[in-house]
Amino acid sequence: MKLNISLAPETIFEIAGFPITNTLLWTFVISLFLIIFTLILNKRKKLIPGKIQSVFELLIEKGYDFVKSIIGTEEKARKIFPLVMTMFIFTLVANLVIYIPGQAAVNLHKSEGIVPVFRAVMSDYGMVFVMTMITIITMHVVAIIVHGPFGYLKKFINFSSPLNFILGLMDIISEIAKIISLSFRLFGNIFASEVLGAVMLFLAPFFIPLPFIFLGILTAVVQAFVFSVLTLVFISLAAEIDRDEVVEQHSI
Amino acid sequence: MELIESLGLNYKILIAQLINFAVLVFILYKFGYKPILRFLDDRRKKIEEGVINAEKAQAKLEELSEKEKKIIKDAKKEALAIVENAKNQAEEKRKELIAKAKQDISVIINEEKTKIKQEKAELVNEVKKDVSKLIVIALEKIIDKKVDKSEDKKIIEEIVTNLKK
Repeated sequence: MKLNISLAPETIFEIAGFPITNTLLWTFVISLFLIIFTLILNKRKKLIPGKIQSVFELLIEKGYDFVKSIIGTEEKARKIFPLVMTMFIFTLVANLVIYIPGQAAVNLHKSEGIVPVFRAVMSDYGMVFVMTMITIITMHVVAIIVHGPFGYLKKFINFSSPLNFILGLMDIISEIAKIISLSFRLFGNIFASEVLGAVMLFLAPFFIPLPFIFLGILTAVVQAFVFSVLTLVFISLAAEIDRDEVVEQHSI
Repeated sequence: MELIESLGLNYKILIAQLINFAVLVFILYKFGYKPILRFLDDRRKKIEEGVINAEKAQAKLEELSEKEKKIIKDAKKEALAIVENAKNQAEEKRKELIAKAKQDISVIINEEKTKIKQEKAELVNEVKKDVSKLIVIALEKIIDKKVDKSEDKKIIEEIVTNLKK
């Protein structure tokens, strides 16, 4: 038996030249599940909540309070909360779904080899990259709105002194590093835990993979949390006005 | 571009994932977070209102019970005053009645006394009359015996002396 590990997601089938990879399929399935669940919850909501409604209300309320405590004001929290919360829920569900047992057994036999139907969504760099780009673009848009286009540019390209110029260059590098660190943290962790799980199952199918599976579940929860919190932190940092900027604006 | 190839990045899939995620965010926001957050706000408001109302009701209740106590206190005081008043009045009336009764009794006694005196006098008069009649009858009987004048005189004297005795 050969262990087949691919960094890229495998294409299961194509619809009119559009490749459906296993991760894209599960992205759709999980999204659909979340949407249907939300719609049902929305339809069944009551002022005096049942058990399920209570749990989700608690989750959303605590999430909202957490977002508010980091970003500061109610107004900003209202705007950023949907993005951060969706990232958290989607990532969490996507990460945990692969721990439903029996998935590794479902494979497609195609001409290019055995293709697993199930694969963790976040072990597809494409999905992580899309979410990271959403974070990064939102962050920059917020920064431009808050600081103004010139204030924003001045942060990166500043000729007022050699030190400021070098600091500006450093900022550009750190922005690029943010993209890489944010996306590869999630992708790497989930991909690694999936590979680790597969390897352990391959080496010793009984009992020995269990601790690794627990570790994987822990990673799944922690990484979902870390990704969404980092998004939140980046955006709230971009939305903050520096002290010297306030002074500058007042002096003008 | 080998990295992109090996990571399996495909712009078609990226766009699909972006749209998918955007739709997910939108629907979860529209039907998940927004109603739930509004719901929570509503509920918080309702609970706040409820708490305030309960406090108000409590305050009102206390006020009412205070009022009630005051009313009861007042009523007790009033009742006591009324009872006291009634007692005083009754006492006065009693005294009055007793005085009147005494007066009446004395009047009645006086009347009776005078009546008794009168009756007594009448009785004495009648007795006197009867006695004199008896005397006359007795005398006639004696006179029937045909006594002389001396004897007659002697008898009269005797009777008178007897009477005097």
